[in-house]
Amino acid sequence: MESVLALGGFVLLRDSVEWEGRSLLKALIKKSALCGEQVHILGCEVSEDEFREGFDSSINSRLIYHDLFRDPLNWSQTGEALPGGPLGALQAMCRRTHPGPVTIALDSLSWLLLHIPCTALCQALGALSRQHAHPGGGSPAEPVRVLGLFHEELHGPGPLGALSSLAQTEVTLSGTMGQASAHILSRRPRQRPAHQTQWFSILPDFSLDLQGGPPLESQPHADPHTAPVDPTAHVTFNLHLSKKEREAKDSLTLPFQFSSEKQQALLRAGPSQATSHIFYEPDAYDDLDQEDPDDDLDV
Amino acid sequence: MAAVATCGTGAGSTGSIAAAASKNNVTSFQRKGPRASGTDSGCSRLVSIAGTRPSVRNGQLLVSTGLPALDQLLGGGLAVGTVLLIEEDKYNIYSSLVFKYFLAEGIINGHTLLVASAKEDPADILQELPAPLLDDNCKKDFDEDVCNDKTPDSNIKMKIAWRYQLLPKMESGPVSSSRFGHYYDASKRMPQELIEASKWHGFFFPEKLSSTLNIESCSLTHGYRKLLQFIQNVIYEEGFDGSSPQKKQKNILRIGIQSLGSPLWGDDICCTENCDNSHSLTKFLYVLRGLLRTSLSACIITMPTHLIQNKAVIARVTNLSDTVVGLESFIGSERETNPLYKDYHGLIHIRQIPRLNNLIYDVSDVKDLAFKLKRKLFTIEKVQKGEVNFKKKTP
Repeated sequence: MESVLALGGFVLLRDSVEWEGRSLLKALIKKSALCGEQVHILGCEVSEDEFREGFDSSINSRLIYHDLFRDPLNWSQTGEALPGGPLGALQAMCRRTHPGPVTIALDSLSWLLLHIPCTALCQALGALSRQHAHPGGGSPAEPVRVLGLFHEELHGPGPLGALSSLAQTEVTLSGTMGQASAHILSRRPRQRPAHQTQWFSILPDFSLDLQGGPPLESQPHADPHTAPVDPTAHVTFNLHLSKKEREAKDSLTLPFQFSSEKQQALLRAGPSQATSHIFYEPDAYDDLDQEDPDDDLDV
Repeated sequence: MAAVATCGTGAGSTGSIAAAASKNNVTSFQRKGPRASGTDSGCSRLVSIAGTRPSVRNGQLLVSTGLPALDQLLGGGLAVGTVLLIEEDKYNIYSSLVFKYFLAEGIINGHTLLVASAKEDPADILQELPAPLLDDNCKKDFDEDVCNDKTPDSNIKMKIAWRYQLLPKMESGPVSSSRFGHYYDASKRMPQELIEASKWHGFFFPEKLSSTLNIESCSLTHGYRKLLQFIQNVIYEEGFDGSSPQKKQKNILRIGIQSLGSPLWGDDICCTENCDNSHSLTKFLYVLRGLLRTSLSACIITMPTHLIQNKAVIARVTNLSDTVVGLESFIGSERETNPLYKDYHGLIHIRQIPRLNNLIYDVSDVKDLAFKLKRKLFTIEKVQKGEVNFKKKTP
């Protein structure tokens, strides 16, 4: 699980109805906050009080909460709501230039997808992860991560494919028998993507408890179909030669065999042959008697 | 069999029978057509631009794609004025590599580059280009690479087919830089001085957007329109379309567009099946092809077709491109563990080859091709089905 935070970039947390992801999101936020990073949260689906519940005060003081839940369409006109709606709020986050490592948590990408077009969201996410890789001041790249919670059952394959192609790390939540697991796919640039499955549980104070393997129930049996296929089995001809057979094969005279002298001449001459030679080797049936050319006519 | 007369005199570009008969008394047949190193033949009436050669079939001007193996499959190279569309593999590892090979080939040949991307800064893309293999020192390492793969059985001297010992090996190693296609070392970076000596234009889409991301300005044709204007400006100002005739040295413009059709360009064909501007991408390809046909340029486009939801769009895009190559990598799929594919990294599908000024095309009759990427070599081979091992198994 450390690799999820270490890699930086955009982390896509895919959850579902059976295995909810908000507690994992809060656990990751707590971990970042304990490392001393700045944490910005764009909350859309739950109220601020409910989100902050469970964190102790030291962590709560580090979290900067941008609330889109209370008044997303700015009906109350009190000026508390974020200007520009959801897209404006995202762009405001893009423009931050506070130094130091930063974590941005988007409480739910599904909610954002319902309110802004998918392409705008993808472009904003790209801008977020890029802006911190190249800050304006020219200082070396600072790790920033964008944690996005995505309820995959609410969307078709299109947005899921688009967002996962942008993500550096993709965490899919599943599990068996009450034990949650996270399948982590990390894509480092220009390297093969790495898969990892991590079993974990979240304690009441939102700290992560990583576990070794699945609970007591049986491991899935090895799939019998994955036995390696041997192409040399069940073949209708003999593939292996015994020693005697190999000797017999080697000593067989080939029907159209040149003498080795002719063979070497042909091999050596190659394309630079200027004149042509004639090689004559008498066959077993050839008659060498020059006197009588019609001897074999049997007349 | 008529032996080919030694064409070392360089008069191979014209097939004059009379001249040959007086030179050599062996044969009067001479190979017609320009030789492989057509750039140095002064008697050729074709435009001699560095890094190009005429096709041996119909004289079409070709540039190398950067992968000699792919050049062979496409009939010698990529024709100038056409589009090469690469369908990206799932994690975009090998398609970005093919993209970089194309750009690196442009730098080696001295062509002008135009790199457009919505994800990475073009300057960063150029920094990551692979280093070319130009020395003869590398030839030794290359031969070792090839020999390591040969099975011991192939070293037995052939008894029946002994005439084939004279034939040259199929894969020729890296040679000096005057050759048409070059080899690259994927583990090293291109030297900085070569990149700085080259001429390139970059188009990074997020920079061209206005600073405020309105929803209206994310309309689909916005990004494509800006890109087309940029390409048109470069072609016009640098004279690739012949608009400044006093230019003495013609050059090729190599255009590379990365991940066209992804949501970062503002196009939502990857996000929904019934999108509003489903014709935006196809219009872009149509206009781009018109620009390319009237200029000395070649274009490579990578497209994440595995994300496109509407299959009809993929068919239209294929029809609007000239050469279409699909890459399918085995990473993460069940084919990774299949022993049939254990030597390879993925499959390569040649989906379309253009018929340019021609009624037939050079379609290879081999349909199941696989590629593998070693450090210095990207090879494409026919998948060896049912590889039979004649070695005796030790009990």
